[in-house]
Amino acid sequence: MRSIRAAYDALAAALGLSAILLLVLPAGCSRALSDPIPPVHDDEAAPRRGGTLRLASISDLRGLDPAGAVDGLSLGPVHLIFAGLVDYDEHARIVPELADHWSVEDGGRTYRFVLRTGVTMHDGTELTADDVKRSIERALHPSTPSQFASYFTGLVGYGAYANGEAEHLEGVVAEGRYDVRFRLQRPDATFPYLLALHAMRPTCKSAGYRYSDTWLPCGAGPFKLERGGWQPGTSLRLVRHPGYFRPGLPYLDAVEWTFNMQEPAQRMHFERGELDLVRDWTDITAARFAADPRWQKYGAVEGDNAMYGETMNTRVPPFDNVEVRRAVAAAIDREHYRLTGPARMRVLTQALPGSVAVDPSYVGQRYDYAAALEHMRKAGYPYDPATGRGGWPDPIEYLLYDQGAVTLTAPLLQQDLARIGLRIRLKVVSFPTFLTLQQRAGAVAISLGSNLLDYPEPSAVFDGLFTTSSISPEGTQNTSFYSNPRFDELAAKAHLELDPERRRALYQEANAILCDEAPWAFTFGFHFYDVHQGYVRGFRPHPVWPLDVGSVWLDRTGDELERMLGGGLR
Amino acid sequence: MLDARALARFRRNRSAVAGAVVVAALVLFALVIPLLSRHGPLTSNFPDGVGPDLMPVGPCAEFPLGVDRIFRDVLSRLAVAGRLSLVIATSATLIATAIGTVVGVVAGYYEGSGLKVPWPALAGLVGAILAALLGWMWVAVSVLLAGVATSAVRHFSGPRLNVDGVLMRVVDVLLAFPFLLLVMAIGASLDHTSSVTIFVTLGVTGWLGIARVLRAKTLQVRTLDYVVASRALGQSTPRVLLRHVLPNIAGPLVVSATVLVAQMIVADAVLSFLGVGIAPPTPTWGRMLFEGQSSIQVAPWLVAAPATILVMAVWGFNMIGEGLRDALDPRGL
Repeated sequence: MRSIRAAYDALAAALGLSAILLLVLPAGCSRALSDPIPPVHDDEAAPRRGGTLRLASISDLRGLDPAGAVDGLSLGPVHLIFAGLVDYDEHARIVPELADHWSVEDGGRTYRFVLRTGVTMHDGTELTADDVKRSIERALHPSTPSQFASYFTGLVGYGAYANGEAEHLEGVVAEGRYDVRFRLQRPDATFPYLLALHAMRPTCKSAGYRYSDTWLPCGAGPFKLERGGWQPGTSLRLVRHPGYFRPGLPYLDAVEWTFNMQEPAQRMHFERGELDLVRDWTDITAARFAADPRWQKYGAVEGDNAMYGETMNTRVPPFDNVEVRRAVAAAIDREHYRLTGPARMRVLTQALPGSVAVDPSYVGQRYDYAAALEHMRKAGYPYDPATGRGGWPDPIEYLLYDQGAVTLTAPLLQQDLARIGLRIRLKVVSFPTFLTLQQRAGAVAISLGSNLLDYPEPSAVFDGLFTTSSISPEGTQNTSFYSNPRFDELAAKAHLELDPERRRALYQEANAILCDEAPWAFTFGFHFYDVHQGYVRGFRPHPVWPLDVGSVWLDRTGDELERMLGGGLR
Repeated sequence: MLDARALARFRRNRSAVAGAVVVAALVLFALVIPLLSRHGPLTSNFPDGVGPDLMPVGPCAEFPLGVDRIFRDVLSRLAVAGRLSLVIATSATLIATAIGTVVGVVAGYYEGSGLKVPWPALAGLVGAILAALLGWMWVAVSVLLAGVATSAVRHFSGPRLNVDGVLMRVVDVLLAFPFLLLVMAIGASLDHTSSVTIFVTLGVTGWLGIARVLRAKTLQVRTLDYVVASRALGQSTPRVLLRHVLPNIAGPLVVSATVLVAQMIVADAVLSFLGVGIAPPTPTWGRMLFEGQSSIQVAPWLVAAPATILVMAVWGFNMIGEGLRDALDPRGL
């Protein structure tokens, strides 16, 4: 009933608003962007402490337990609350964070981390090796619904621990107060990346061991949860951790989120100076900010960590025919896709998003209409564009859900594939239904594929999405059910290969196989476009994490700052 | 039904005439624009629809109502959506009116006296309900028709049922369900939605109001002298209903049906707005509203155009309905 009433309200609001628009706006006219609020001091000014950074989100927070923080919204606050043994620098390179240093021993089978001394957790205790071991065991405990657990099967003793046969994880050893060793069954070049995952970050012993959606977070990051500062569905307030191990940081007194605020409201509050930084723009609004010279220097592109494509089930006709898949990959005009969100979308022509592309200039798939027709001919389904005859004889169902970019790209795909004789019929389902069907063997012929990198390394794409071992009858991430022994071999070798150059070569060959055999037609990469007010200083989008505001400071006049400190949106 | 005096009263009602003009204009718009437009409703217009800032162009000579987020001509989509919306609304109204009339007249006519139902017809009805509950719709229809046909070809005995009580309790129960929730549930259960499934769904769920109105009117009419007289003269019940009752309840029937068209237009828009209407890329007014809402601040024409035409259509049919009610009102005779 509530959803229907909400729909009625939304429809009525849309009707009413449009009537007002018709009265007050000439046709085609749209409201101009306001001026940015400038900083008080010049570019050379030293950072000032104080103030509350005010953010908002169109959705609600799923939780603050790092073991379950997998979505873009949760990652923001979780990243501010929890520090890891290692993290990424501004070039997405692994650097020590809570670790003072680390070494690789035993031919890549053992990683030894030595912790910083004197790191204070949010509950006032000092970080020790036992905290690291306990936190990792907590994250990988069988009762914790972590989607990252499968990454750690190479840890010695993981199987026994995951099955509940062992009380502790044998492969994680706390040696002394500040020394932690990770023992692997075989060398794994990607292991340091896995330790940067938030799920692996140390948590306070006092916060409790069991996973919960309502678990109150406690870590060693620059901000901590204010007592009573999390109102699910409404707001979140983090305050400065006075014992943060990096001297002088953070500059801000607090960071606040308001949840469930729709994009038009966010834009209104932002332009009135009541929100300081916004990332939930619609594609059109983001493009307008990006194109406005007044706002360009306050806009920032987040990491290119998401990839999208059309995933074709290699076990379902006609996509069990590699030539049909090649035809699809060649028939899609990716530039048209990009035009649906030019500020946030980038044409993708290979299996790796921009942030981890081995060779960013590599063009593995591209729009080539003549080639697409030729592939259809080779597949045995020649199509004559002049007469419209030929092609695959039956309609092909394309599964989608009714939100986000796919509502725009699906009709474009339909138009592109009609030109090579593939008639697509769109079937809209709810998002949970979409996931269930897409991840079920034989249920879907073609659908939208998407992947947000868990860590910035090609294996984060290849292992889950395309290896034979990731196929399962239900709940598979390999939604194209793609299997290629050579590809599997390359993916496995890359894990073992510690030499970066040789690993890159393996990844590039694997990438070329995927582009040629086209289990996906790779279409576009996606990045958020953040816009902040001029007085928000020191914000640099992190190449991996969303909304990393740990070094942000506010440069407003005293009275404005006072109003901000008064807190809240009017 | 609409004699010269009633027609004159309708013509004197400016709101009603304005409503009729608006509806006629909408029908003309839906029929003619797709024939004249240079741009198809499903085709993206590259590069003409792309503005210099890579955004969809607004209203201009080439695209009088601008283009949408994937650069399709809004005018052409609006007109094709209008065809669909009008066809769905009128078809659903016809179905709902037919069901509502049968239920309302039968319930009103047999109120208090009951109806003797032959055993085969009763068995067919019970079997049809069971089959429908099991999801075997064709079996349900077949069983019901077989029962009724068997009862028609020869005489069978059967119990006397309180048909009015049964039908009105069914109406009460169905009215207790939120209309849209019921429609959404049916729509969601369908593997693929088309205009036919939408208007059938709306039609078989939208007859309740008409049934109640016509039952009340039939209760009045059946006591009139000429109806009593024809029954006393031995005229068959179907003949009495068709010759004497139906013509005298036609006024409220037409008024209710006209207003129902407007309700069906809104219901169709809501279904599309919620994503359980006709699958994209087929344009509907509700779908166009849904697609345009996220861009309302920067491309207001995407919402303004379908919203305006939706308001006009609903207002037009409502004004016609109001005008007909005033024109056919016996107090005005």
